[in-house]
Amino acid sequence: MLTRPSTPRVLPLLIALATAAIVLSACGDSIPAEPAGILRDPAPVVGDVELPDASNGGVTFATRAQDDHVLLVYFGFTSCPDVCPTTLADVRRAVRELDEGLAARVDLAVITVDPDRDDAATLTAYAQTWVPGAHALRTDDPAALRAAADAYGADYAIQTNDEGDIEVGHTAFLYAVDSAGRIRLTWPFGTPHEDLTSDMEYLFNEGV
Amino acid sequence: MKRLLLVIVMALIAASCGGDGGIEIDDPWARSSARMQNAGAVYMTITADDGDTLTGVAVDSSVAMMAELHETQMSDEGTMAMQEVPNMAVPADGELNLEPGGFHIMLMQLAEPLESGDTFPVTLTFENAGEVVVDVEVREE
Ligand SMILES: [Cu+2]
Repeated sequence: MLTRPSTPRVLPLLIALATAAIVLSACGDSIPAEPAGILRDPAPVVGDVELPDASNGGVTFATRAQDDHVLLVYFGFTSCPDVCPTTLADVRRAVRELDEGLAARVDLAVITVDPDRDDAATLTAYAQTWVPGAHALRTDDPAALRAAADAYGADYAIQTNDEGDIEVGHTAFLYAVDSAGRIRLTWPFGTPHEDLTSDMEYLFNEGV
Repeated sequence: MKRLLLVIVMALIAASCGGDGGIEIDDPWARSSARMQNAGAVYMTITADDGDTLTGVAVDSSVAMMAELHETQMSDEGTMAMQEVPNMAVPADGELNLEPGGFHIMLMQLAEPLESGDTFPVTLTFENAGEVVVDVEVREE
C-alpha cells in the first residue's frame, strides 16, 4: 500500500512566516553590512594554484577570478550524492537569483578529489550542470592536488572500506576568490542559498 | 449519497493516517541528478506512533542498482563523509529526519538520471511495521 505524503499542519504557518520575512527583508537594504560567510584574515592567496582544466582540453587554469568577476571554488567529486549536490544546487539557485548583470560575473570551478573515477568528460558535464561554462579541474598528480587543497586549507581522504566500497571524505566548504587571487569568503556546508546570493552582492559591492 | 460520503470520509481518514503501523512519511524527495552523477540521495521525515526502527530499503533496478541506508558525518578534521548504517531509529515522541548532510537513502548506480517531476517507489522495511512503500518525488531542490 502506498503511503501518501501528508502535509504538516505547520506548513501554512511557515509559508506565512517566510513570506513575511521576505517582505520585511525587501524593505531594507538587501546588501548586508557583514557577510554571512567566513572572512579569513589574512585572506589566503590561491591565485597561483594551477590545475589542468578538463573543460578546456586540459589547459592550465589558475584559480583566480577574471577582472570584475567572482570565482567560486569547490572541492568535490561526482559520485557524491548528498553533500556536493546540496551545496552546488544552492550555488545554482543563488546565481539565478542575482541580477542578470551580476550573475554573468560569477564563475565556478569544481576540483575533483577523486580523479580516478572522475574522468575529464564526466567532471566537465557534472560541473557545468550547476553553472554554465564551469571549469572542471582535474589532475592525476596527487602532489598537485594536495598542494591545491593545502592552499585553500581544504582536506580530503579516499579510503576503501572492508567491503571494498570507496569512501571519500572532503572539506565541504565553498570559496569565493577575487581577481587578485585572494579567498574573500568561505562558506560552510549548509549555508542557505539566500546568504550565498546576498554575500555575492556584498562582494560585488565591495569590489572584486 | 450518504454511503458515498461515508466512503469518501473513510478514504480521507485512511489517507491522512497512513495506516501501516502508525508510520507516517512526510515529503519523500530526491534531488534531480547532475549530468554524469551516478548516485542519488532520498530524503524524508518519518514518524511512528510507538516508535520503530528503519532496518532496510529497496528500489527497483529500473531506478538504481542498489539502495542503502547512509549517514553523512563530519570528522574531527572537518571533512564530511558518508557511511552505510545498519538501521535508523524512529523515536516514539519525535521524528527521524533524512536530510542533506545527515541521514539519507543512497541510490547507487542510477539506471537513468533522476529528472525533476519524476516519481519512483522506494520500499522501506521497519522492524515493527514491516514494509512501507513511498512515492519519492524528484525535484531540483
Ligand atoms: Cu550516501
